[in-house]
Amino acid sequence: MVSEDERAQIIEKLKRGVIEFDEDLVRQASHEALEVGMDAYEAIMDGLGAGMDVVGELFSKKEYFVPEVLMCGDALYVGLDILRPHVVRDESSQVVGEVVIGTVEGDVHDIGKNLVKMMFEIGGFKVHDLGRDVPLDKFVEEQIRTDSDIVCLSAMMTTTMLGMKTVIQKLKAKNPNVKIMIGGAPISAEIAEKWGADGYAPDAPNALQEALNMIKGLREMRVQE
Amino acid sequence: MESERLNSRERVLGLFAGQEIDRIPVFSGMGNVTVHGLEQHGWRFPEIHLDGYKMAMAAASTPRLFGFECAVVPFDMGVEAEVLGCEVNYYAHHTDILYPTISGKLASKVEDLEVRVPEDLESAGRMPVVAEAIRLLKEDLGDQVAVGAWVLGPFTLAGQIVDLDDLLKMSFKKPDLVNGVLDALDELLIALASIYKKAGADYLTVREMGATTDVLSPRIFGSLIRPHLERVFAGIESPKILHICGDTNTIVDQMAQCGADAISVDQKNELAASREEIGPDVILLGNLDPYGVLVMGKPEEVERSVKEIIGSGADAIWPGCDIWPTVPAENMERLMATAREYGARR
Repeated sequence: MVSEDERAQIIEKLKRGVIEFDEDLVRQASHEALEVGMDAYEAIMDGLGAGMDVVGELFSKKEYFVPEVLMCGDALYVGLDILRPHVVRDESSQVVGEVVIGTVEGDVHDIGKNLVKMMFEIGGFKVHDLGRDVPLDKFVEEQIRTDSDIVCLSAMMTTTMLGMKTVIQKLKAKNPNVKIMIGGAPISAEIAEKWGADGYAPDAPNALQEALNMIKGLREMRVQE
Repeated sequence: MESERLNSRERVLGLFAGQEIDRIPVFSGMGNVTVHGLEQHGWRFPEIHLDGYKMAMAAASTPRLFGFECAVVPFDMGVEAEVLGCEVNYYAHHTDILYPTISGKLASKVEDLEVRVPEDLESAGRMPVVAEAIRLLKEDLGDQVAVGAWVLGPFTLAGQIVDLDDLLKMSFKKPDLVNGVLDALDELLIALASIYKKAGADYLTVREMGATTDVLSPRIFGSLIRPHLERVFAGIESPKILHICGDTNTIVDQMAQCGADAISVDQKNELAASREEIGPDVILLGNLDPYGVLVMGKPEEVERSVKEIIGSGADAIWPGCDIWPTVPAENMERLMATAREYGARR
């Protein structure tokens, strides 16, 4: 049994390791978590994930910039790679949900998309990452191939985001139940609603929350059927 | 138009020369080709990047159709990277507007990156195409309309040829490594700008959007970006402009010290505050929202925006980035009409 103190200390180290982009600290704390028998999912969510939340805040306050955020992400992945194989899930689902994600055609920016992907991985999702400059039909093909619950579209430029509207239409035509989330610098909640997306997130931690809500909604729907 | 004292070329060059001009100019250092121009010639968007004549004619269509006060080439951001050996995707089979992108980087890590500059730059990649377009533009309308050319800034170019994530991390962790790469790119960009100048370009813009504070801290701007911009500007002929889009409010003072004759900012910049900060002598160009207002807005919004810019102390009405080609003709017309009506000088 892990003592409350021990648990709190490890969580704090994981969190701090992410915030201070200290890969060694994250590595050490992750191993410690496993050694004392901490719940791996808790370590991920309350330690690493919570650290990334703070990083997000530092970024919005313009104390952290993109290089710092990337380094924090690297530190987080060190921990995630160690802890993730030890996450215990109940029988009903090994994986929380499946997501297809990519940056739309004509757009080669993917830092934001990669951060969203990371949050999904923290949250236990299986992510099918199509990368960047993804032809619009590829989103549809991949959703069908993987039977994913959610498709996430990212664009950094006002001009490339227009492709999202087309993807949303095509996806909904093939599979009305698939949930579509869009995001990126030029995107807003209004645009998302106007184009028929099911969700919008202004940043990566919010994207995860939206996705979890979507999965919950889908599960409830399936139970009712 | 007929009643104005200067033609648009005189007005633009007069601005850079510090002369008294009759009214605020409306021009750009960046792309501004429109679908109206393409339709006139019956060309699809991908065609105008690969042929000097089409590039020139497409660029000329904007001043011809709307009185916009410049003709600018090239349109896409793939020229420099292509010179270094990157592959460019022209989306040749698309009917809608997709700007060419770099489809293959030279290296995934900065430490593995080798910048190989071709011996004969004038013949490398699409340099002959762009140089020819400039020459043709000079022949075609060179006495009436200023001809602009541009290059990417060294940091932005670096972000195209190597994995951007790694470049950004190394900017923090191993700046000396990044400096080495940027040194080589400084030289390249100076040489490319010189080729454009030789072909007849009247003014040159350096586009360093990778250095916006949306991405990098002002501290890193000062230590890593600025020395290279200073070097590039020291090596290119006037008139020369530094453009950075995105949030530039906390670096505008530094931008004004990079050795450019003018600085260009976009709609995220608080123009009036920037003017306060840099003083009256720096030429400040901006900050029309080239998509949100100029393309998606109603003519009234364009008018409002232009009046605001005039009131904020900008020296020219200049879009914050490339004008998206589907810009409505009536918006371009209102842009010019508002500037003529409200932008008269002394």
